[in-house]
Amino acid sequence: MERNKTGWVALAVMALAGCGLAGEGEPSEAQRGDGSDTIELAEFPDRPYWGDTHLHTDISVDAFGFGVRLGAEEALKFARGDRVTATTGMEAQLDRPLDFLVISDHSDAMGSTRRLYDAPRILVRDPTLRRWYDMLHESPEQSTRAVAELITAAANDAIPEALIDPERQAAATRELWDSHLDLLDRYNRPGEFTAFAGFEWTLMPDGNNLHRVVMFRDGSVKTGQVVPFPGLNTTPEQLWDYMEAYEANTGGRVLAIPHNSNLSNGIMFELVGPDGGAMSASYASRRARYEPVVEATQIKGDSETHPFLSPNDEFAAFGVAGWELGNLPLTRQTTPDMFEGSYVRSALLRGLTLEQQMGVNPYAFGLIGSTDSHTALATGDEDNFFGKHSGNEPRAGRALQSQNLGTAEGRFGWHYLAGGYAAAWARGNTRAEIFDAFMRREVYATTGPRMVLRLFAGFDFAEDDWNWDWVRAGYTRGVPMGGDLEDIGRAPVFLISALKDPDGANLDRVQVVKGWVDASGAAQERVYDVAWSDMDGERRSVSGRVPAVGDTVIRREATYENSIGAAELRATWRDPDYRPGQRAFYYVRAIEIPTPSWVLFDAKRFGFDLPPEVIEANVIQERAYSSPVWLRPRRGPDDAPRIMGEG
Amino acid sequence: MIRKLLRDPLAHFLLAGAAIWGALALLGDPVDPASRTIELSRERQAGIALGFERMMGRPPTDAEMDAAIARWVREEVLYREALRLGLDQGDAVVRRRLATKMDELAGAEAEIVRPTDALLDAWLADNAEGYGDGGAVSFAQVFFPSEQAARDALGGPAPPRGSAISLPRSVDAMELVELEAVFGRQFASGLSQLPTGKAWQGPIRSGYGWHLVRLEGRTAGSVPPLAEIRERVEADWRSATIAARRQRAYEVLREAYTVDVE
Repeated sequence: MERNKTGWVALAVMALAGCGLAGEGEPSEAQRGDGSDTIELAEFPDRPYWGDTHLHTDISVDAFGFGVRLGAEEALKFARGDRVTATTGMEAQLDRPLDFLVISDHSDAMGSTRRLYDAPRILVRDPTLRRWYDMLHESPEQSTRAVAELITAAANDAIPEALIDPERQAAATRELWDSHLDLLDRYNRPGEFTAFAGFEWTLMPDGNNLHRVVMFRDGSVKTGQVVPFPGLNTTPEQLWDYMEAYEANTGGRVLAIPHNSNLSNGIMFELVGPDGGAMSASYASRRARYEPVVEATQIKGDSETHPFLSPNDEFAAFGVAGWELGNLPLTRQTTPDMFEGSYVRSALLRGLTLEQQMGVNPYAFGLIGSTDSHTALATGDEDNFFGKHSGNEPRAGRALQSQNLGTAEGRFGWHYLAGGYAAAWARGNTRAEIFDAFMRREVYATTGPRMVLRLFAGFDFAEDDWNWDWVRAGYTRGVPMGGDLEDIGRAPVFLISALKDPDGANLDRVQVVKGWVDASGAAQERVYDVAWSDMDGERRSVSGRVPAVGDTVIRREATYENSIGAAELRATWRDPDYRPGQRAFYYVRAIEIPTPSWVLFDAKRFGFDLPPEVIEANVIQERAYSSPVWLRPRRGPDDAPRIMGEG
Repeated sequence: MIRKLLRDPLAHFLLAGAAIWGALALLGDPVDPASRTIELSRERQAGIALGFERMMGRPPTDAEMDAAIARWVREEVLYREALRLGLDQGDAVVRRRLATKMDELAGAEAEIVRPTDALLDAWLADNAEGYGDGGAVSFAQVFFPSEQAARDALGGPAPPRGSAISLPRSVDAMELVELEAVFGRQFASGLSQLPTGKAWQGPIRSGYGWHLVRLEGRTAGSVPPLAEIRERVEADWRSATIAARRQRAYEVLREAYTVDVE
């Protein structure tokens, strides 16, 4: 007790002496760089590394208003497996740690809501800002409403000048960015956990979502030479200029990941160039160069495809409900003619068509999933969903509330997915290895579960490759997911393996999704079931159709049993519809048996009833999407140089 | 009597207050809002000059110094009048700022102190679990889709023949984190129950099915020496210490209060 008193005197003296600087340990050289030559690497990528590339913390302009009070440090701790206390006071922890994390706070008005909130009221003169200020302070509900207004204002280009005063904002962003980069280096541990620098570039013309996450390969020495690039009033081409300049000036590498194309009202993957005329080859090649990967699934819905576009695909409706109605703030409704530019599969098809026309494919991208969580908590599991933002962290009734964005009719809490993850096939867990896996598109998406998905394409794979070291065979005699295969006049053969999440549900089936341009120049797609559980037994296919796997979900208990489905599904698959000279892509979709979504877990946990249609919509089949392999016509001497040659 | 007084929360509170007041007094510039005399000590003037120099990169001229002092005096006058009018009352921002300041005060010592190796060593010993590699295992495994098939194979000739699955047949010194990521938690926990030896044993269960294993070796988790992980331990020690001190300081103050929630 004596110590307490003397302690207080000492504290008071020290604090008042102005020695408030923290004496943090300095990160080592290995932590500060891209991780090259820091750890021993496997010969071939030997396991998927799991991560989230899309996470917001308290310096995101909207996340703070939605209530989050956790910053980057808590986000990093949580992702690497530590227990943290969520904003609303609950303890939060991942069942299994992640291997990497990209914190992607919005570059626009970075930190400004937090600053507005902390400002003396008397200094807030702008009437709109003062209104938002009062709402932020009044209650969580009002705070959420203020942010909804803010997003709508951003969509309408009507943000008060005072909030985004360029000079003040630039200085504030620089300060935030520098300390953020320093923090990332401290948490970056080659071989254990990788912390990437990044930000979200949030362009949203008329509320149509063109957002990208920008992700850097490098540590603070290089990333400290730039600041995040603003999204408001800029264009994708200007973003690529920024990225190009970064690479030229620092020798570093950077990529951008488009997301929520499902909320773009058809403008994320257009057939035309930015001016509405024909797309130029230089636009296409820059897009392909800087945007090698697209986020296909996240909390705000799944963008793989839509039943309107893929009427013969019985699994096409996953994560579509609610989100298909309109753009992000629901200021403009979606019409069916927009879908092709909004979904990933149709974009991959458009890419083939454009490549046929001009020799370059702007949409030859790989696929990942992520969360887009605004809680600083990268939660992707159904039984551990902390909400899209801190305003809907776990509590009774959140599933049935109307959704915040635009507060318009038609989108409800239960339309949120629990969020996805990105898997990267890399030789080790470092910034360089994982980033390079993204560049060569050797990555895949899952809607949360950690299935292990392998895909190799070649021409001479055979059934007995499975008896030996088939991974080595895959890498030495073929290309992995994300690769290009040059047509040699024979049907390509694929080695496909999907291993279930060891702590999750069994697998229903594995499918190949093929897209191609036919002889008349029309884009075509087809889904092939290539392996499924019990395929020689009760589920023998009947005239080309595989019977449903069944359903063990007990709705009221939010439980299921692994008494159906398979632990692993493998296929050696040869394309039965191959035509010489055809341009095509092939990607794999692995589908789990039915399981309860977070909505059913909520109903059980908080003990409330759901309408029958909501219950049935929340018995889901989670899935993984591989990046495609592209089959390209043999290149003649006159062909343009290939764009995606690196990696 | 003195012992009793030392345990009394109110006494702590008063002592703490007196200590802070004393420290303030020692540093000069008594901030007494009730007073209408503003004294500008030499230390304060030096502080103002330093502030100018930090911003402009040169010392102020006499005229600039006069202006800076005038600005400071103006702020001080308005600040005192604001306190007199009670403008600090009922303002959520002021309230939170002051509360934050108290928190910072409590943690401040821990923020600047350079902990000794002995201190960190002791702390590391108490908080070892976050730093160890969790141990490693070397084993061979064979997979079976059913428990019965695994039991039958265990009774048959060695090595047992199982079913195909895309998992490593044998691993060498696999760390526990890696083991859980590749084989799942159920398998890792089953394996932890088995003794090492040359014989095939099991079956143990995983999310995939059943496995017979030959557990060739197991190394216990070890914590690296402090020198290798000093920065990390120091950073963690610092944040833990700051949090603990804030909490302790709060509890001392909180004890003196009664809170009635209607």
